[in-house]
Amino acid sequence: MRILLIEDDISVADYIGKGLRQSGYSVEHCADGEQGLALAQKSEEYDVLVVDRMLPNMDGLTIIQTLRAADNKSPVLILSALGEVDDRVKGLKAGGDDYLVKPFAFVELLARIEALLRRQKSSTSETKLKVADLEMDLLAHKVTRGGGGFNLQPREYKLLEYLMKHAGQVVTRTMLLENVWEYHFDPQTNVIDVHISRLRQKIDKDFDQQLLSTVRGAGYMLRDPEIQ
Amino acid sequence: MIINKILASYTFRFLWAYVIGLSVSVLIVLMLVYATYSYDYFKQLQGAVADEIVALEEVYENTGFGGLERFIGEKIEKGELNRFYYLVVDQEKRKLAGNLDDWPIYRRYDDGWLEFHLEILSWNDQKRELRFIGRSEEIGDGYRMLVVHHHGEFRGYAEAIRGALVRSMMVTIVLGTIGGAIVAGLSVRQIDRTNKTLQSIMSGDLSDRIESASMRGEHKELALNINLMLDRIQQLMEGLRQVSDNIAHDLRTPLTRLRNQLSDMQDQAVSDREDRVQPLIDEADGLLSTFSSLLRIAQVESGSRRAGFTRLDLRIILLDVIELYEPLATDKAIRFVSSLQAEAFINGDRDLLFQAFANLIDNAVKYTPENGCVNVELGSAGEEAFVTVTDSGRGISAVDQGKVFERFYRVEVSRSLHPGNGLGLSLVSAVVKLHYGHITLSNNQPGLRVEVRWPLVD
Repeated sequence: MRILLIEDDISVADYIGKGLRQSGYSVEHCADGEQGLALAQKSEEYDVLVVDRMLPNMDGLTIIQTLRAADNKSPVLILSALGEVDDRVKGLKAGGDDYLVKPFAFVELLARIEALLRRQKSSTSETKLKVADLEMDLLAHKVTRGGGGFNLQPREYKLLEYLMKHAGQVVTRTMLLENVWEYHFDPQTNVIDVHISRLRQKIDKDFDQQLLSTVRGAGYMLRDPEIQ
Repeated sequence: MIINKILASYTFRFLWAYVIGLSVSVLIVLMLVYATYSYDYFKQLQGAVADEIVALEEVYENTGFGGLERFIGEKIEKGELNRFYYLVVDQEKRKLAGNLDDWPIYRRYDDGWLEFHLEILSWNDQKRELRFIGRSEEIGDGYRMLVVHHHGEFRGYAEAIRGALVRSMMVTIVLGTIGGAIVAGLSVRQIDRTNKTLQSIMSGDLSDRIESASMRGEHKELALNINLMLDRIQQLMEGLRQVSDNIAHDLRTPLTRLRNQLSDMQDQAVSDREDRVQPLIDEADGLLSTFSSLLRIAQVESGSRRAGFTRLDLRIILLDVIELYEPLATDKAIRFVSSLQAEAFINGDRDLLFQAFANLIDNAVKYTPENGCVNVELGSAGEEAFVTVTDSGRGISAVDQGKVFERFYRVEVSRSLHPGNGLGLSLVSAVVKLHYGHITLSNNQPGLRVEVRWPLVD
């Protein structure tokens, strides 16, 4: 898995690079906008691009627009500092796939990169999701586990769908808010935990195998405990 | 009404009191003039009468009664009847000489002067009442002589002057009052305008200024000075905000590094130390989230998010917030009631409005005890949409209600009982202002009632 990191802040770049390499990615770093674009155009092999908005010589949004105009479909994660223009919509319209405000915890960045990679792999034509014995039929809107069905509220269904689509991956609270509730905001309390524990009550309570776990300091993960 | 405002205004009352005061002083001065003048007049009159008596006595002494009678007769003949009237009587008060018919009934003063009035026929047969002043003297042989002078004309003048005085005083007071009302009206209008602007500034819009172009004189000077003061306050506040934002901004990077290094340490640590690192990471996360909140408030206050405003339905956003927080309330056995009207469109930023409602409902749930009740309402009144969030918690005292929107302000009791950074309501207030709305807190007895109002759009 190759990641191109275009970021001019050396300390941020070092920290992201180090973390990603430890997680098993190969990272190439570039501190200049124009050079970064050239690198991205030269090789279409990068699995994910991590691009800062404010860069010397060429800003991040221009890089993305140029790549998209040349039909380069590599997923892009945009980094932006809060206090600068926080314009998520503009970033996503320019062709970015996700948008993260600095500073962020590394787990947040990692979770998002993994989500982007997953999105790349999974085809949209999937009609069934499966994690261990938990199954979701996307067409019939039905969830079953071990033969028995569940009665899920619409939001619980959406939450479970997102978790299942990212099975085996850490999903952060902000990712859930952005993708399941579709609001970008900062919950001040453990409000997401309550929804997760409700969902857990429904899908895990009567089973020996616990699929939905909390990852301390990061978020949640739904996974088949037999697959490591 | 403007009339009531004018009448109640200090300027008007001051001017009115001034007019009354001035009238009273003028009255006193004129009364003094009148008193002095009449004193002199009577003194002269008395002098003339006394001289006349002395002259008559001399005539009597030198020439006897016959001479006196002749003398008086000559005086009357000479047409001096306008000035003096004479009467000489014997012991039985029978007329012996003079141009008065009967001995009059008079008032005698302590100093010997007499005063009386008589009706006489004037030249055109009209009755006139004349007042007289004079003296009577014994002139020997049991004869008494009366010499008097009438002062009716003086009285007439005095009456006329007094009438004119009273009338002009009335006119002065009436005109003074009207003038005072006009002056007060002008001043009330200017001060009213100044006060309205100041109220709007106090309610949060520090960029507003008093419109001084149409003002004159001291009012204009005052308005200009207030505006200069506001400029200065705004500068200072901006500077202060800039400093705190810079602090938040600059401290976040080292904090992030600290947090990540702790996280690295946790990954590498042996299991017993891992538990000791987690609280440190939590602390760092808390600090980071405080800084993020500060910067988010600063960003909202800068107004730049207005560029992305779209028309949106408050009902949909509220339903989403309620759905998000409902389980939290249920876990605390809090009754969560909502009554939302069909739709209410305003121009706004969906994420920020969601954040504001989330903060309000989060607070309501947090501060409401178990088995309590939280109520959310959406409605509209006139041109405005309103959202109220009420809870049955312990509420906020009137003193604290004005302060809870300040950054980092926390009500003393909640400091120890509930976690938080004291920025939640500051952000709500910033978001509401960004949307041209108003937020008010009131007592729900028990609990808190928060009401937010925004201008509706079609």
